[in-house]
Formats: sequence, C-alpha cells, structure tokens
Amino acid sequence: MADRFAGIRYLMPRWSAKLGAGLVIVGLITLFGIVAPFFTADPRDSSNKGLLPPSPEHLLGTTKLGYDVLAQLATGTRGSLYVGLLGGLSAMLLAIVFGILAGYFGGWLDEVLMLATNIMLVIPGLPLVMVIAAYVQNTEGLGDFARSSTLVALILGVTGWAGSAVVLRAQARSLRTREYVAAARVAGERGLRIIFVEIIPNLVPLIAAQLIFGVMAAVLGEAGLSYLGLGPTNSITLGTMLNDAQTGQAVGSHAWWWFIPPGAMIALLGTGLALVNFAIDEIVNPKLRLAPQAARQQRRATKAGKGVAGGGAYA
Amino acid sequence: MKKISLALAATAVALSLTLAACTSPAPAPSGSAASSAPAMAATLRVWAGSTTPITVDFNPFHVDTALYGTYGPIYEPLFFFNQLSSDAPVPMIGQSYNYSADGKTITITIKPGLKWSDGQALTADDVAFTMGYGPNKTDKMISATATDDTTIVLKYSSPQFTAASQLLGSTMIVPRHVWSKIDNYMKETNDNPVGSGAYVVKTTSDASYTFTANPNYRDPVPITNVQFLGIDSNQSGQDLLSTGQIDWTGMFIANPDSVTGTGAIGTMNQQQDPTVMVTCADASKGCKGDQTDVAVRQALNVAIDRSQLAEKAWVNLVGKANPAFVLLPRDQKWLTDSSLAESPQTANAAQAGQILEAAGYTKDDKGFYAKNGKEISLDLFSPDGWTDYNDAAKLIAEQAGKAGIKITARTVSEAEYWTPVTDGDFQLAMYGLTQSVVADPFSNYDQYFFGKSTAKVGDAPVRGQNYSRYSNAVVNAAVEAAAATDDEATKKAEYAKIQAQIAIDLPYIPVVLNASQAFFNTKNFTGWPTDANLYADPLPYLSVAPAIVLLNLKPVQ
Amino acid sequence: MKFYLRRIAFYVITVWAAVSLNFLLPRMMPGDPAAIMIGKLRRASGGRELSPQVIEDIYALLGADKNTSPWDQYLAYWGRLLHGDLGLSSTRYPYPVVELIGNALPWTLFMVGTATVISFILGIVGGAWVGWRRGTWLDHLVPATALLQSIPYFWLALVLVAVFSVQLGWLPIVGAYDPFEFPSGPEWSWDFFVSALQHAFLPALTIVISSIGGWLLGMRNMMVSTMSEDFVVTAEAKGLRPSRIRDRYAARNAAIPSLAGFSIALAFVVAGSIVTEQVFSYPGIGKLMIQSVQGLDYTLMQGVFLVITLTVLAANFLMDLLYGVIDPRVRSHG
Repeated sequence: MADRFAGIRYLMPRWSAKLGAGLVIVGLITLFGIVAPFFTADPRDSSNKGLLPPSPEHLLGTTKLGYDVLAQLATGTRGSLYVGLLGGLSAMLLAIVFGILAGYFGGWLDEVLMLATNIMLVIPGLPLVMVIAAYVQNTEGLGDFARSSTLVALILGVTGWAGSAVVLRAQARSLRTREYVAAARVAGERGLRIIFVEIIPNLVPLIAAQLIFGVMAAVLGEAGLSYLGLGPTNSITLGTMLNDAQTGQAVGSHAWWWFIPPGAMIALLGTGLALVNFAIDEIVNPKLRLAPQAARQQRRATKAGKGVAGGGAYA
Repeated sequence: MKKISLALAATAVALSLTLAACTSPAPAPSGSAASSAPAMAATLRVWAGSTTPITVDFNPFHVDTALYGTYGPIYEPLFFFNQLSSDAPVPMIGQSYNYSADGKTITITIKPGLKWSDGQALTADDVAFTMGYGPNKTDKMISATATDDTTIVLKYSSPQFTAASQLLGSTMIVPRHVWSKIDNYMKETNDNPVGSGAYVVKTTSDASYTFTANPNYRDPVPITNVQFLGIDSNQSGQDLLSTGQIDWTGMFIANPDSVTGTGAIGTMNQQQDPTVMVTCADASKGCKGDQTDVAVRQALNVAIDRSQLAEKAWVNLVGKANPAFVLLPRDQKWLTDSSLAESPQTANAAQAGQILEAAGYTKDDKGFYAKNGKEISLDLFSPDGWTDYNDAAKLIAEQAGKAGIKITARTVSEAEYWTPVTDGDFQLAMYGLTQSVVADPFSNYDQYFFGKSTAKVGDAPVRGQNYSRYSNAVVNAAVEAAAATDDEATKKAEYAKIQAQIAIDLPYIPVVLNASQAFFNTKNFTGWPTDANLYADPLPYLSVAPAIVLLNLKPVQ
Repeated sequence: MKFYLRRIAFYVITVWAAVSLNFLLPRMMPGDPAAIMIGKLRRASGGRELSPQVIEDIYALLGADKNTSPWDQYLAYWGRLLHGDLGLSSTRYPYPVVELIGNALPWTLFMVGTATVISFILGIVGGAWVGWRRGTWLDHLVPATALLQSIPYFWLALVLVAVFSVQLGWLPIVGAYDPFEFPSGPEWSWDFFVSALQHAFLPALTIVISSIGGWLLGMRNMMVSTMSEDFVVTAEAKGLRPSRIRDRYAARNAAIPSLAGFSIALAFVVAGSIVTEQVFSYPGIGKLMIQSVQGLDYTLMQGVFLVITLTVLAANFLMDLLYGVIDPRVRSHG
C-alpha cells in the first residue's frame, strides 16, 4: 500500500520557500477573484464621484466614471483568471494532442504534427493573434460572442500551444522506450489506452508546468490585446481595466490608484505562478534542486574545516 | 565566442554613449531651444492629430488622407467662413460675390494681382477650372466661366443659396497649369504643392513636415516656419504639450489645469458639434426595434441624465444640447420657440413612465416597460476607443434602466460601427453631428433630417447623412422651401415648422454639445483667438481656420 | 547535409503556410476595401455627394477581383508577392504597403534588434554566473526573474515614460529621433545617431527588462544541470582552473539549448516590441501593425504580418545554421 503512494509523493513538489510563496500568492489572488466580488460594490455603479483618490469608502478610489476600483479589481481578477484558465487549458489540450501523439506514435504522424507545431512556433504569436482577432471579431453573425472574453481566451489558446507541444513530445518520446510501456504494448494494449494509462500520468508534472505557463501567457496576452483595443469589451478583466485607465488618461490625470493596481495584480499573479513552476521544474529536473543543495553542503563543510574539495587541503 | 565579445563591446559603447548623452547637457526641449537660437523662434510646432509615419500627401482632393495644413495654409478657398460668428465671410482669394435673384447664378470677383507659390499669376481662369474639376463638378452645375481676369460666373440648375459655404468656403482653388496635366487626381500625392496660401512645404519626413512662408503671398507672413508633428496618442501629445515641446494642439484633455497650470499654455474650449444618440427611426424604411416607436424615443429623451453624462463622460467640458439643433448663442435668431433652447438636463423617470404608459406600455415584474408581453430592449453601440462615447453609452444604459427602459451598451470596432450606421442596420448608436459652419442651421436640417435624400435600410443615403432614415413630409417641404429662398422671414417660418417637428419626433436624441479643446503656447506666441475676439476657431485640425490663426500670430521676441 | 535539407524544406513549407494563411484571412471577411474606402471618403467630405468618377476610380484601385476564381486569385496573389507588390494601404492611401514597411523596418531592426542582443548577452552571461555560483545567495535572484517576466510590457513602458520622460524629463517621450532638430528626417551624422540612441534607450530598456528573465533563468538552469555532468566532474578532477571549467566546459554546453530556444524567445520579443513601439510612438513595424489593425487596413495588416513572419523565420534559419555549426550532434540526428 505504501508503495502506491510513494510514486505519487515522488511526483508531488517538495516543499520549499519558493513553492510556499508561489502557492500563497496564487491562492490569495484566486480567493480574491472568487470571493471578493460578492463583498465589494457593484463594479458598474457610476453613482460615485469620478477619480476619487483612495479613501475609507473607496479603498482604491474610483475611476473616471465613478466605478469603485477595488470592485473593478475584484471582478477583473475573476475575469482574468477565467481567461487565463480557459486559454491555458485549451492550449494544454492542444499541446497534449499534438505533442504526445507525435512523440508516442512517431513516424509520419510525428512528422506531420511536428511540422504543424513548428510552423505555429515560428509564426510570431502576437501578430498572429492580432490578425486573427481583428478578423474574427469583425465577422458578422457572432453577436455578443464576437467581443467576449471566452472568444479572446480561445484565440489565445489556439495560438499558444506550440511551445508546450515540443516539450511534451520530447518527454513522451523518451517514455515510449521505457520497459513498462514496451510491456504494455506487448500485452496488446491499444495505443490510446497506453497514452492515457501509462504515458500521461508520468507527464503530470510537466503538463502542470505547461498549464501554468499557458495560464500566465493567456493572462498577459489578454492584457496586451486589451491594450491594443482587441480585448473583450463586454466583461471586466485586468486587461480591460488597464485599457480603460489608458484611454481615460489615468496617467495624465495622475490617477495612480486606477492604473497601478491592475498591472501590479497581473505581475503578482504571474510571479506566483512562475514560483510554483520553479518548484515543478525541480521535480522534473532533480539536478536543479540537488546541485545547489550539494554545493551548499559542500561549502558549509569546507567552512567547518572538513572540506573535501578545499583546494587540496589534504594533499 | 569572438562574435559575442565584439557584440558586447559594441553594446558597452552604445550604452555609455547613451548614458553620456542623457547625463551631460540635459536634452533641451521647449523654451531653451527658442531662447538660444533666435532664428528658430519663429518655428511654431503643431500637433493637429497626424499619426506617424507621416505619409506625404498634399492633394486637396484626398479629403480623407491629405495632411493637415493642406486646406488653408497651402490651398485656399475663395472666402473664409468663421463658424464661430455670424459675421460676413472674410475674403481670401475672393473679394466679393453675389447671387442672382433666383439663386442659380453666382458672380465672383477675386483679388487682382495674385500669384501662385511658383510665381505664376492666379487668375479667374484658375478658379473656373477648379470649380469644374474632378469632384467639384456636380450634376447641378451648368457652367463655370471666367469672364475676365478677376470675374467668374457660376451657373446652376437649382438655387444655391445654402451652398455658399461649400462652394465659396471649402472648395480649394488649384492652379490650372498644374492640375490640368494630372491624369488621375485620386492617385496623386502632390508632394510639392503649388498653392496660393501663406505657406509652402519646406521639408517632410516620416515624423514631421515643415511649412515655410510663401514668398509670393499677398500679405506679410509673421510666423516663418510651422512644423506639423506626427504623434500617436493623446497621452504623448499631452506630455509634449506640458513639457513645452509643442506649441499648438487641439485634443481632449480631461484635466486641462494640469497643462495650463504653468501659465505658458492657454486654452479655449468651443462647444459646437451635437453629440446625439442616433436612432433608426422609420419602420417604413426598414428600421427594426422598439426605438421606431416615437414614444420610446421621447421617453428616452427625458430618462437620461445629461448633467451626469456631462460630468462623468466629459468632465463638464461640454455644452448643453438643444432639440432644435441650432447653435446657441450664434444662431439665436433662428430659434423659433424658446422652450426648445435646451434639452432636459436631469433625468425624469416619472415623466418617461407617463409617456410610455400613455402609449400602452406597462411595467413588468422585472421593472422594465413592456407592450403585449414584450419588453422594450434596445441595443446602443459606439466605436471602440472613443472613450467619451463608450462612457456615455454605459451611463445611458444605466440611466435608462432606472426609468424602466432596457438598453444594452456595447462597443464595436470602427468598421463594424460605420457600416451598420450607414446602412441603417442598428437600433441606437452614439453619434456626432457636424454643426453647420455658418450662422444658419440649414445644413443641419438638410444633412440629417431631410427625408428625400435618405435611403431604405440596406443602402447608404444618396446625399447627406440622414442615417436615422427620418422622413417627415412637413420637414421635407420646409427644407426645400428654405433652400430656395434668401429671405430671412420666409426662412424663419420654414425653420419653425422643422424645429417643432424634430423636437417631437426625436430621430436624433440630443445628448450634449461636444467639447473641442484647443491648447496653445501664449508665452512664445501672441495673437491667439480669445473669447472677446473669436476671429477663427483655434483648432489646428480644422480646414482653413488654422491659416487665419497663423496669420494673426506674432512670435514673442 | 540531410539536416540542412530538412530544415530548408521546413522553412519552405512554413513560408507557404504563412503566405496562404495571409491570403485566406481577408477573404473570409465581409465587405470589401473599396466599400470601406468610399464610406470613409463620404464621411470625410461631410456628406457631399461623391462623383461617379471618384467611385469608379476607387473600385479600379482597391476593388476585389470578384469575377475570377479563388484559385486564380491565389495564383495572382503569389505573382504580386513575388514582384514585391503588397498592394495599396487604405489608411495611408495611395501609399504602397511595401514603401510603408520599408520605412519602418530599419527602426525596428535597430531598436528591437539591439535590445534583443543586449538582453540575450546579459541573460546568458548572468545566467552562467548565477548557475556557476549555485547554492549561494544568488539563488535568491532566480525568483526575481519571475517578476520581470510577469510585468505587462506596455504597463512597464507607460510607467517608465511617466517617470523618466515626463516627471524627470531625462529622456525623450516619443519617436525615434528628435523631429525638432532634424525636421527633414534621418541623416548620416553623429548628432543624429546620438539622437536616435537617446530615443531608443527607453523602449529598448523596456524590452531588456521584460525579456532578460527568460534568458537568465534558462541559462542558469542549464548551467546547474551541466555542472553535474560527468565531463565537468572529470574536468574538475583533472584539476583544471575553475574559470576554464566554467567558460569552456560548462557555459559553452549550457548555452546550446538557449540558442535552440531562441525562436520561442524571439516570438516573445516580437510580441513585446509591438506593444512597446505603440507606447513610445516608435515608428517601427509593430506600430504599423497596430495602426493597420485599428484602421482595419487589411492590405497593410497582411503585408506587415508577412514581413514579421519572414523576418522571424530568417532569424530562426540563421540560428539553425549556427546551431548546426556549434553542436555537430544535431546534424547527424536531426
């Protein structure tokens, strides 16, 4: 029984300051995005005066239209998390399809899938997203969907999977040659079943890392698109907040309370996610954890006078 | 490895250079340049709204892409019509004009001895050529003839009383000896324009273009050089203005005090162009939606809180709109009913409710008015990034909701905005009307309310911009009658009919009179228009007016 | 040789895909450029009736070739491309797209190119150093790179402008050079070069700050991994000087994946530079792209997209060649 959990424990990230800090940041922001909108004012209530600096009634002041910045920030965080998750998940799914199928099956399927992946990889992302967004959003008959955050997230997902696919393919390729996979194949298991039962569970840390990257990329991508006027227009996200602040001349009006919080929130969320990713990196590549540890121990030992590599002290 | 170290060295050099350049003599913008180099003092720097890269185009027929300054400083019309006053037009190339009694013949006399910037004589022949050239020739024109060196006779098949500002005030006169040789004026970018205005082109680049005084100009030119810059955002424009790097601009600044606080920059805010909610009003022309019911439009008109809109969306920089669509106080004499001098400034949800109930609507359990079980539901859109419109639309939706009228505000890309508005495929849209440039509201009525030039939904109006598809027999007859007369009393009687109708029908629901802020450097240049002396509108992006302003300025020594 | 042939085949296919995508997208759009242009003209002339000749002229210049089959249009599109004809811009009518791009490209290559090289070098050198000194306090710098990577480019740029250009007045606010001193545009002089450097400083700094984290982290991680490889341990055992081990053994091998990851990083830089150019009104290709998107100038949008794609492909191709030279293994394994 204990053996069964040993594997899982191996896959779980080791506790470290980085992981702790990352999880706390991401957790707090997620909680803020989920819970805070229920407690803050209506983010679209314009009855307040415009451009009020922070005060006890409006902890982060108000926007030009009199919207409460804190309420906007809470709803915007929720909106951005939605875009991030949806964008990240769709990118991850595509990366799994392209990367793992290519890596596992090899041969001509690998060639074709990798060609598609490499094309996606070298065609620059943001210009492609801009071009697609400009076209898609101007297509008739989409109605409200045309400028929704769901569509923006999907566009970001569809254009942002290639890097992850390359990483997953490399790993899937090496797993393919492992004995237990070969054994499953000899036992007559079907390819897809092997992928789902043998390969994917072993790629969980890697997939998680790619998902986190995807979420980060989608949140940042949405902010960039919004800044360029191609973001969602009918929901509040951190990107649309920044866009409102930018078009509402927040910088020129010195309304830092309107302009700084959404940007800082994005930076903070990204930092938290990246910290979690560092911890995952250290599982995927144990050397990243062990080597600095070893070096540290060695140095401590040297200091204590028991050095083995102390420049030939024993010679 | 060698490559990398080379690159490193280059980087280090570049970095140290940049740093040196930053720290040593602080990059001297603004005032210091003017004081240290007196020869440069006469260069006035303008941002009229050009964006980079500047693509050289001084073709006056490219109404959409010609660079600022083409109209006025380079090419001139016959007369300058000051849209801020009711004074007579100011002569430019022209000296006088008169209409025949039937309004179908115009005789124009131009100033004698004029020259083009290339030194050739500017005669009546050039004017006649221009009037019959390219897009200037309309199907109503019969002939344009120069009867001697300074006299031109224009003949039309219909009265042209109301076309004076267009024919005489916005048709740029071009030299025959240049344009008769151009085979396709649409393709021409006219990089070295030969004009009659106070300026000629000195230099052009992708970031700016500079005009210099035209030595052949008929009067002295006080500002020797005028540089027009390309800047890509209002924020950058504001930054350059407040650091003293540009002298003249016209743009929306939410808190003008931050710019004018130092005392070097003056400002003027003229409110002229009505901002409205345009409605697709006429169901018989194919308009769809609840706004085709006049009661809904009337209810909306009283449900919106214009003072809140002015405060939140326009920082109180706008003026008050009126349902008669006259510009007050300029057009005071044309306002026929003093109750139409101002649209209601505060919301009156009760009155909106009464109007709707009288028309058979009842409030449903969600608090929205409905008729036959169907809630009123309206779609209001505005173009992305037109912040004031976007903000106003959001607020209007909120205000209308309080009065029981459901409006969804959304923004669309510019292309998605213009096509439905032009084709009538919309319910409500935020829209800006262009105010009549002369002290007579005729063009407002003719452009926006004349039913005979509009079209069915699906087509663009043949002429004018009656996008609401409004068609009212009384208004149509009155517009036609006003066009055919030069008699003030007759005109006023016709306007009375129009104003009474459109204030009830409300195909365009007035919101505010839009702000147009001009900012100018009063420290380095004097002679700018003031509230007491509005000789021209000081907005650099207008046509013709900037030329008048430039000729009135004086550099401070 | 097989390696190079495969790579060349790959690039040929990619170029084909990019061009075809470019061909397809605008054809899925409603409306045609001529109608958009006519609508614009009508509004700009204040509702004045457009003469039939104007309308005819515009259709002749911008009208879609509606009577030919899509396949013929596709072939004609390739034909025009190969002649360097990308069509006429509608927002900058009647300027050819090629000319607009030709004027913008040098600025982007100058500013973004320099920033990328600086960021790459600083990142690799810094990463090697932090990796070499693994297990010391320097490890704490690693999480800081996460913050750098997570700041939205344009937000950082706006803050930098507000502080350094407007508040402190140290650096120029917009543009690629001082238009007041050089009203007739770029010239070959020392003063102009200095002016261009001053103007490029802040946008380049934005790109360096935002992109250096990725290089640094990647290099540091590879360095740490490489340091525990057998050949490095062997070198240590042989008693080679530490600096020699660091530079010739560890760093050199650790840098290889960074070169391979160049394409991904380059895409990141291109994306960031588009937004950065917008904030600084920098007259490069990215700003042109944004203008085309905002003005729905499809010909310009297509042209810019194509040029960006081809430039990135060319950079990747060069990197591939270089990679093949540095690491002989890829030539045999592919």
